[in-house]
Amino acid sequence: MAQNTEPSENRGVRPPPDVNPRTDPALDFPDKPLQDMTPGDYQVLGYMSGLEVHQQLDTPSKLFCRCPAGCRVRKVDAEVLRHMRPTLSELGEYDRTALMEFKTKKEIVYLLERGTVCTYEMDDTPPFGMDEVAVRIALEMAEMCNLNLVSELHVMRKQYLDGSIPTGFQRTAMVGLAGSVPFRVPELGVDRELRIRQLSLEEDSCREVSDVGHRITFRTDRLGTPLTEVVTEPELLSPHELQAGACLLAQVSRATGKVRRGPGAARQDVNVSVAGGRRVEIKGVHHHRRLPILVHTEAFRQLNLLRIRAELERRGVQRESLSIPEGGLPWEVTPLVLDVSSLVRHSNFQPARQAVHRGETACAVRLPGFGGLLTHPTQPGVTFAREIADRIRVIACPVHHPFMTHSDLGAESLSSQHWNQLARSLGAHSGDAIVVMWAPREDAATAAREVLIRAEDALVGIPAETRQAFPDGTTGFERILPGPDRMYPDTDTPPLPIPDRMVSEVRARLPEAPWVREARYRRIGLDARAARVLAVAVWADLFDEIVPAEGESARRLAGVLEKRIPFHSRRMRGAKPRLAEELPPATRLAPAVRALEAGEILPEALTRLVDELLENLDRPVEEVLGRYRRRPGDEERLRAALKAAELRAPLVLDGRSPDVKLRWAMGQVAPSFLGKVAPLEAEARLIAALGVGLEASKEVLPVGDSGGSETRAGEVSAEPAREKETLP
Amino acid sequence: MSVAVKDPYQGYRGPCREVMERFGITVWCEVRAKTTQGLFEGLLLPRSETSDELHLVLKLGVGYNIGIRHDTVLELEKIGYREARYQIPEREFPTDPAHPNVKLLGTGGTIASRLDYRTGAVIPAFSPGELYGSVPELAEICNLETEKLFGVFSENMSPEHYLILAEKTGEAIREGYDGVVIGHGTDTMHHTAAALSFMVQNPPVPIIMVGSQRSSDRPSSDAAQNLINATWAAARGPIAEVLVCMFGPTSDLYNLLHRGTRVRKMHSSVRSTFRTLGDIPVAMVEKGKVTPIKDDWRPRRDDREVTVQAAFEEKVTIAYYYPGMQPDVIDAMVEKGYKGIIIAGTGLGHVNRLIYPALARANAAGVHLYMTLQTLWGFVQMQVYETGREILELGVVPLANMLPEVAYIKLGWALGVHPDDPEAVRTLMTTSMAGEMTEREPHDGYLILQGGIPEVQAFLEKVWR
Ligand SMILES: [Zn+2]
Repeated sequence: MAQNTEPSENRGVRPPPDVNPRTDPALDFPDKPLQDMTPGDYQVLGYMSGLEVHQQLDTPSKLFCRCPAGCRVRKVDAEVLRHMRPTLSELGEYDRTALMEFKTKKEIVYLLERGTVCTYEMDDTPPFGMDEVAVRIALEMAEMCNLNLVSELHVMRKQYLDGSIPTGFQRTAMVGLAGSVPFRVPELGVDRELRIRQLSLEEDSCREVSDVGHRITFRTDRLGTPLTEVVTEPELLSPHELQAGACLLAQVSRATGKVRRGPGAARQDVNVSVAGGRRVEIKGVHHHRRLPILVHTEAFRQLNLLRIRAELERRGVQRESLSIPEGGLPWEVTPLVLDVSSLVRHSNFQPARQAVHRGETACAVRLPGFGGLLTHPTQPGVTFAREIADRIRVIACPVHHPFMTHSDLGAESLSSQHWNQLARSLGAHSGDAIVVMWAPREDAATAAREVLIRAEDALVGIPAETRQAFPDGTTGFERILPGPDRMYPDTDTPPLPIPDRMVSEVRARLPEAPWVREARYRRIGLDARAARVLAVAVWADLFDEIVPAEGESARRLAGVLEKRIPFHSRRMRGAKPRLAEELPPATRLAPAVRALEAGEILPEALTRLVDELLENLDRPVEEVLGRYRRRPGDEERLRAALKAAELRAPLVLDGRSPDVKLRWAMGQVAPSFLGKVAPLEAEARLIAALGVGLEASKEVLPVGDSGGSETRAGEVSAEPAREKETLP
Repeated sequence: MSVAVKDPYQGYRGPCREVMERFGITVWCEVRAKTTQGLFEGLLLPRSETSDELHLVLKLGVGYNIGIRHDTVLELEKIGYREARYQIPEREFPTDPAHPNVKLLGTGGTIASRLDYRTGAVIPAFSPGELYGSVPELAEICNLETEKLFGVFSENMSPEHYLILAEKTGEAIREGYDGVVIGHGTDTMHHTAAALSFMVQNPPVPIIMVGSQRSSDRPSSDAAQNLINATWAAARGPIAEVLVCMFGPTSDLYNLLHRGTRVRKMHSSVRSTFRTLGDIPVAMVEKGKVTPIKDDWRPRRDDREVTVQAAFEEKVTIAYYYPGMQPDVIDAMVEKGYKGIIIAGTGLGHVNRLIYPALARANAAGVHLYMTLQTLWGFVQMQVYETGREILELGVVPLANMLPEVAYIKLGWALGVHPDDPEAVRTLMTTSMAGEMTEREPHDGYLILQGGIPEVQAFLEKVWR
């Protein structure tokens, strides 16, 4: 395409380029695992990636009808069967994705449940007005990303022929363009802006239930749920930057407090390319953690496909040698394909033999010049043959596995005698490869054509496609990447002006962006790490509500919340807290902080105090707090405890090392001084009383209060140990 | 959709037009717009006439359209120009001497169309070449010839169109076509089907009406399946009647052939909107097979005999009765010169006593009065209650189970054929010609399954609906 030769200032009026700007593949770069790669390595590869983050919005109803949103059902009241048919594009051509989907000849079955789907989603009723709650949330997110807001939403139809939306298109509207968010990741040395290309508001698709052979089944409860799609510029230059970018965008959407959480509520598509390659999209990744390995693997898959292309070029393989006339059965219209059912029927290779006995057709395709390349690695444990097998799997929809073998595997499948026989019949030379596949006759015909199409694509290098992520970190072909022509206006929906009033209302109530919050926490005295953690923590609002007055109490409170809130949440619910509703009310913790600020309790006591407040939710705050307040007589009680410890120590610990003695003794006296006398002072007096060595005083004591990670070294590691102890 | 390209401000009026003139910008300009909201770049599209005059529409490179309000624009800079070219791909429709010949008459409803991806304008595909370009399956069924009679939306079809359509259908039959397909918008398809049922009598070949509920520019459209099945029924089907060929269930499974006088559009938007009322459909059709499910249909013949009686009296109306109806409504119709009134009565065919005098006055003025039912299903039975008998005495003639819209069409036609012969009109009206009145209603002639009931639920779980 000519896009990349356009003057860059005209970018907005042309589709964004599909190819990597660098055309020189790093063919000599060695394949390395993710952990051995440096950012510089990715620079050598010309690695580029960008994100499309889909986030469900937390609205009561769906986007274009008044069905409830966010319901997951298993009940099925009825089923509807549909097919998709490609529609002609502006130039009278069919979109290549559309055509591919049509070739799959899928029967699409929708499962309906009365409460969660109506005739709108089933494309039997025109759309109702766009949900205003969703529009406001989308505007809010667009504002947080500093996007240029459009003044009128135009609903477009984005074609999807895979059946995941019964209309055959997704209704979507552009909300804002060309913004950015601060992108600061100290551990990656990143400190810049992450440019956001666009944010659109769209309806979610169906949940796939099964996809077997020529039938694909979808559940419709999720269909129509409002969703924002945020697209970044492809400027994330390493797998870890990509992951950090995904986390940042997730934080932005969570900051609104109006997005759905839970499985499938946020899904990212990733665009990846390397020098000499083109944009490949990995779809629907749910977890940020998985992103680095997936894109790393994809980068090397592209590199390996480019190596294969270079080798094919070296061998002088021409496109024309792989082309096949349109129409007719492949084995009747080209000498590259043979119906080999009768040969396979008598082979010892069970899968193929059984297929032919089931009545399926086996055919062989000669790939001139591809000898040895089918076993060329493309991904860890995966060879180029899977590129071919994937196309067959997706487009010809075989039910039985395996459905393909090839000559590079030698006698692992067919005997060498049979391979020789096939080679003779096909007129194959030693430098050629032969692919054999089996399927019902019509599907075998589709499969044979797909093999040749994929082989032809190998001469291009990297086919523009979308890929699905597998659990092992590899990806598989999903569909051809749609062209820009798949988007057209929705004639069922009038344009929706965004009134200035709505924008100013949204601006007035704009949630604090994570980076703004972070800066505020830095200003009140938190260190960089603590501020970053707190800015995106669920308990940030709780922290703000307690309003610690000055640096010390703020640092203490931030540290205590960061450590103790997840712990208590796990204790009570078995998981980290995800919603503000799962947190204790500010009224439970605020008096403790007030007491701390007033000097009524010692900072070291805060952790234990908070623990007690959260472990005994039915006990009045003042009663718990009372036990930690400094009172007259504290000194006498401490003195008595020290005395008791001094007397009992020889009986209990005779002959033990001084630090064991000191630990034991601290445990004995701690209840009587904690919150009232500083631990270092207590410790010093114990050492004096017991007469143990000075070296013991440097030990870590399990009684302090870290109050934030950057405080005195002697206190830092006490917390995890304590947590382990208390875990069930 | 307007396809006139020459107006450089297509659809822009008022303040937007001023902005465009100020910066020397026309539609199809690629512009860079500096606005108070930031910078936007895109292709300036025509604006729909029905949208407000406050926004400019830009098509972005990523495919989306956006609106920019005129008063946010600080500057518009032209950076290119790209005009849409409207063209419909045409591939020559292959002919095969072994195939039957079908004539497709177009009335303006779009059965096949192509979409302008930038404006969303739907451009009808109609010539055989265009149709072949979008539904190539047709070539396996028949040799197709098309004739576009008018370009009107369904709701604008009127009696004058019925007359032309009837004549053209008769012509096609006499010319030797093996079947006629009529493309029609769905809203008034059943009115036109009724008109043709009366005007084109005893045809030797199928006359199949077809349309689509979901425009053919969408991948999920019902248009292609409808067209394929209609063409099949016309080219090769055994039933020589006026039939409506539309989706059976909402699933992509089969079409139904409904008799033109018993069919009615019953839902504003679902695909399975057409239903045969008071009877069962004549046949099911899937590509390659027409399966009759009734047995009283008229078979295809080899001759070319057909009687076309194209006439229509437009001063006919339907009075949809409601409890508070005042007599002056009827009086007004008479005063305005209406020659016939179809009453859509309640229950078995009743109206309130209050309007009796008006009906008597209408009868005395020579206005034809007929009774049909707003219940749609069931028979007019005016002998059962006192009320009914009284209404009969006022000169109102019951029309059994004829549907109100069909009765309207039939009365218009009968009065058109016999403008000065009330007796002949009455005879025509009370004699069933094309199944518009049946002698009996089968037990499954009224079948609206009530959702939510366990046995219906059980049924729905077993079928694709
Ligand atoms: Zn709904």
